[in-house]
Amino acid sequence: MSSISAKAGAMPAAPARRRSKIDRGHWVGLLYIAPAIVLVMVFFVIPLGMTAWMSLHNWPLMGQHRFIGLDNYVAITKDVRFWNALKFTGYYTVIVTIAIFAVAFPLALFVEKPRPMMGVYRTAFFMPVVVGFASASLLWAWLLNVDSGLFSPAAQELGLTEKRFNLIATFNPAFWSIIVMVVWKVAGFTMVILMTGLQSIPTELQEAAKIDGANAWQRFRSITFPLMRRTVALALILSVAGSILAFDQFYILLRGGPRNSTITAVYWIFNQSFVSFKLGYGAALSMVLLVILVVLSLIQLRLLRNPEGT
Amino acid sequence: MKRLTILAATATLLSMTALASAAETANIWVRADGSNFMPQIVEAFNKSHENQIKLDIIPNAEIVQKYATSAAGGTAPDGLSLDLIYTPAFAAAGQLEDITDWAKSLPYFKELSPAHVKTGTYKDKIYGLPFSADSSVLIWNKKLFKQAGLDPEKGPTNFAEIAADAEKVAALGGEIKGFYFSGACGGCNIFTFTPLIWASGGDILSADGSKATLDTPQMRDAIALYRGMVEKGLVPEGAKTDSGANFFAAFAGGNIGITPSGAFAIGALNTQYKDIDYGVTFLPGKDGGSSSFAGGDNFVVTKGTPKLAVLKEFLDYAYSLEGQTLLASRGSLPVRGDIAKEALKDLDPRYQIAAEAMAKGNTPYSVVFNDIINSANGPWAQMINEVFFGDDVDGALANAQETMQGIIDAGTGQ
Repeated sequence: MSSISAKAGAMPAAPARRRSKIDRGHWVGLLYIAPAIVLVMVFFVIPLGMTAWMSLHNWPLMGQHRFIGLDNYVAITKDVRFWNALKFTGYYTVIVTIAIFAVAFPLALFVEKPRPMMGVYRTAFFMPVVVGFASASLLWAWLLNVDSGLFSPAAQELGLTEKRFNLIATFNPAFWSIIVMVVWKVAGFTMVILMTGLQSIPTELQEAAKIDGANAWQRFRSITFPLMRRTVALALILSVAGSILAFDQFYILLRGGPRNSTITAVYWIFNQSFVSFKLGYGAALSMVLLVILVVLSLIQLRLLRNPEGT
Repeated sequence: MKRLTILAATATLLSMTALASAAETANIWVRADGSNFMPQIVEAFNKSHENQIKLDIIPNAEIVQKYATSAAGGTAPDGLSLDLIYTPAFAAAGQLEDITDWAKSLPYFKELSPAHVKTGTYKDKIYGLPFSADSSVLIWNKKLFKQAGLDPEKGPTNFAEIAADAEKVAALGGEIKGFYFSGACGGCNIFTFTPLIWASGGDILSADGSKATLDTPQMRDAIALYRGMVEKGLVPEGAKTDSGANFFAAFAGGNIGITPSGAFAIGALNTQYKDIDYGVTFLPGKDGGSSSFAGGDNFVVTKGTPKLAVLKEFLDYAYSLEGQTLLASRGSLPVRGDIAKEALKDLDPRYQIAAEAMAKGNTPYSVVFNDIINSANGPWAQMINEVFFGDDVDGALANAQETMQGIIDAGTGQ
């Protein structure tokens, strides 16, 4: 709105003067955003350009590189293990996102309302977020260790299992251990995002609905959730993007095991680049993953757009 | 504590190199596995020579990436003590100086460890010379053997004896188990499991590394040995998911009867776990015989380094009786066959067995070794876990054979 009125106000001025004013305004504006542009150029645009450039080469970690056009991309179409990794990443993303929201939403509802010790709850739920993924993985690597950890020996001592049960030796227990760990680690962050969304809903709306006789579920469905669309969209995109790029926890906790069943897309890129020393191929895989991520984010934004298009 | 000593040693080296500014200084790197002997031999060299060596210790998993990036940036060290299995890959990438003439001019060239020279040779040119050596052997806990009613002085000599001894030890119960191996570690098992196959007469790769030969009767016999012990509960549950962290530590804890290990364990047990009474013997074949993985480091030279003379001087020193003795006392076996006996004569006699294993040892040759064997997600690592613990040995072997051959055929892409 304000930009429109500014334009309208400038209308009567002489065309020449207006242009110079706008020009100067442009330059000042450019000056203000220059640091940001430099940062984005140096840390995003140039590396992205280099990745794209490298992806067109046979670029070994050691030795000479040579241009091979789109050969890397052709190879990707035949790389069964990459597509399997992508499949697993998709599976993980769906499960972990549902799990995170299933935990974070109730938590957000719980900590949003003023109650005694609210600060303590909020801090406690948020605490794991500030632990880095690598350190959290190391902590859980110990918790899950079959011989010297916590869960397996405790289960045996309590008589739940007859002998030590190795949680990370088969796919399902290993996978769900990771899910639990990630939810523990990330739910607090999603909770805070959802909480700000909840707090931005005017209380009058809820009160009016109450007076009209709407029950808790009706209020949630017709008021809370629709008004939180944007917040949910943000939390969802962050969660999905984070899950598709998952690497640390699988690398540190499971080493891609048991038997290579938990290799994510990024893990495969890492392996190709730094185990097989094929940097060019790794770069091509990264470009493919980038495209997938952008498409997914666009789809999510579209789905969660407000119906009026605002 | 160990890290502190390394830090202190590095600090001393740094200050010493600073003093000797008149002479030339060459930079060398070693992987962390060499931190037991490398600082000591560099220090001894620097004390007795005008030219100096500056040493950097690099974490095992990072040395290849770090070297590659510094080579690209022009800051690579002059020389490098490199895991011998990587020598063909580095040579193929054109990073290394051809040192054929130098190597052949050494009067004892013919006496140098054949496994090292084999992996140090690429397309008939020599790019690496033996530096440190480690061979795989079988070690057993004498105290547990005695408790189990076995002869504590006699280690197993074939598959049946390994299984029988392990069963007796495991019968002691409690935390005590009969046998240990790192069931999710490709590198550990190429070192300790393949010798069982070699000693029985099989192999996993053709001599030039161009064909994978996994599905052999010898392989199946060795698998049957491990599977049998797992099924009888002689192996701790943690072995299933051990990606190498417990490779040595499990035996050092004192609750394991038998484990395949390496010569390095002799040095480590003698210095850090003095209360463990253990024996050392060869890794046997199904019906006797023996074999070993001859491992260790090759010394390689960065292409175009101006410090070649200093490196030659350093390697000459390492090859002297004094150098070989020093290295051996720190857990690295002698690489010169002609003076090995003399270098080892005052050391723990168990080293003699490891040295003998080294001399008879085998080393697979492949430019894609990292990909097919060492990688935690490679076909070898996946296969060993499946065949030791899974339900489908045939499928696992077939799958690994196909993947491995595919990687070999794709090559390094150069």
